[in-house]
Amino acid sequence: MDFDLYGDDSRGVIKLDPRTKLLLFLASSIVSLNLYGITSMVVFSLLLCVLLALCGRPGTALKAFIAFAIVAYLRSCLDAQGTGSAGVVMICQALATIFMFMFPVLISLVMLVQTTRISQFLAAFQAMHLPATIVIPVAVLFRFIPAVQDEWQGIRKAMAFRGIRIDAQSVVRQPFKTIEYMLVPLLFSSISVMEELAAAAEARGLDAEHTRSSYEDVRLGVADYVVIVLFGGIAVYTALNVRRAVMGQ
Amino acid sequence: MARKEITQDTATEASSKKMRTRDLIYAGAFGAIYLVVMLIIVMGSSMVSPILYLLAPLFVGTVCGTIYEMCVLKVRKFGPALILGVLFALVACTSAGPLSLVLAIGFALAAELIIMAGKYQSKMMYLLSFVVFNCNMACPYLMLQLARDEFLARSVEFYGQAYADTLAAIAPSWVFFLCLGVAILGGIIGAFIANKLISKHFEKAGII
Repeated sequence: MDFDLYGDDSRGVIKLDPRTKLLLFLASSIVSLNLYGITSMVVFSLLLCVLLALCGRPGTALKAFIAFAIVAYLRSCLDAQGTGSAGVVMICQALATIFMFMFPVLISLVMLVQTTRISQFLAAFQAMHLPATIVIPVAVLFRFIPAVQDEWQGIRKAMAFRGIRIDAQSVVRQPFKTIEYMLVPLLFSSISVMEELAAAAEARGLDAEHTRSSYEDVRLGVADYVVIVLFGGIAVYTALNVRRAVMGQ
Repeated sequence: MARKEITQDTATEASSKKMRTRDLIYAGAFGAIYLVVMLIIVMGSSMVSPILYLLAPLFVGTVCGTIYEMCVLKVRKFGPALILGVLFALVACTSAGPLSLVLAIGFALAAELIIMAGKYQSKMMYLLSFVVFNCNMACPYLMLQLARDEFLARSVEFYGQAYADTLAAIAPSWVFFLCLGVAILGGIIGAFIANKLISKHFEKAGII
């Protein structure tokens, strides 16, 4: 899973509001927690992947859905087979199920990060009247995840030049030394990036007391309402349905 | 104009106690590092073996202790541990249910109060706070604990009694408390490593 430094939805057929994407993330968490049937899981994941494709990431959506379909197929094969050591079969089933559980959450997170610009985030959060204490760390978090990945690649290369390996073998052999070699350069370089980011934000007046105006126009459109009603409905329906099933037992 | 000056005055007055934009940016950025490292460790160890997955709180505590300490020592005000905890809870505990979310944030708040008790000066309290903070690594496993009965009842329906018995054998009913113990151990080791690395590298460089 790789994140671009800046999200982009300009190639998308539909443009969703960041708030809708947040709701989508919440809805997929609820659904993946309460959904057990394999057919309904496949349908829900297909819906999410179609939405991701419409938002301008058809390649990612296709790859993700193929991976999901393969795991679901293997899972159903395991169920149908019924032979083999019970323990091994169970571990494989558990792994497949965890992947299928996590899939909707992961896809909605990818959609949130890959198709949203930071300025859209800030504008949408401001429209929700959230305090700066929440808005700024969350926005910086999304901006910084790709930066950490970038720094990490650089550190790996610099270590390789000096003949220091960071892999499974070195982690097992000398764990504490490996932690030191990993963390110290990562923190040093990240802190200098942070200081630049903070200086840039202060220069743009992010710590001013006044309400900020924004170039971004965040407004809920028709597509947003359709998505909110559809996925909100699915989430509420699954949550209620499971509760009724548990009560009925 | 006069109003502006007043707000600016109160801002500088409060700046010694309240978090400013710069501090919020530090908290968010350290949160990103913490989460990326945490996810890499959890995914890596669960790919190797399911038993290592249960031990993930230990590994995360060992590695992420330094990141946490750098974050709280850089800001030295009320807030960074709580923000880090909330970000962690949103990413790691959302899919594990509301109870685990609340519990994870509770641990972060407790860590924040411990730092406060040390008056933002005591190094011992800073190190101790991570041991409490790292307990939030056990919260995602609450799902295994709480949904277990429901999950077992369903697997009897779908796969029969034998399957449910094997499942019950692999994940004991006290799996959450096991993870909590592992997390505390990880927190202690992590705090120890953080202390060593910070005095060896970061204090000398004058970063904190």
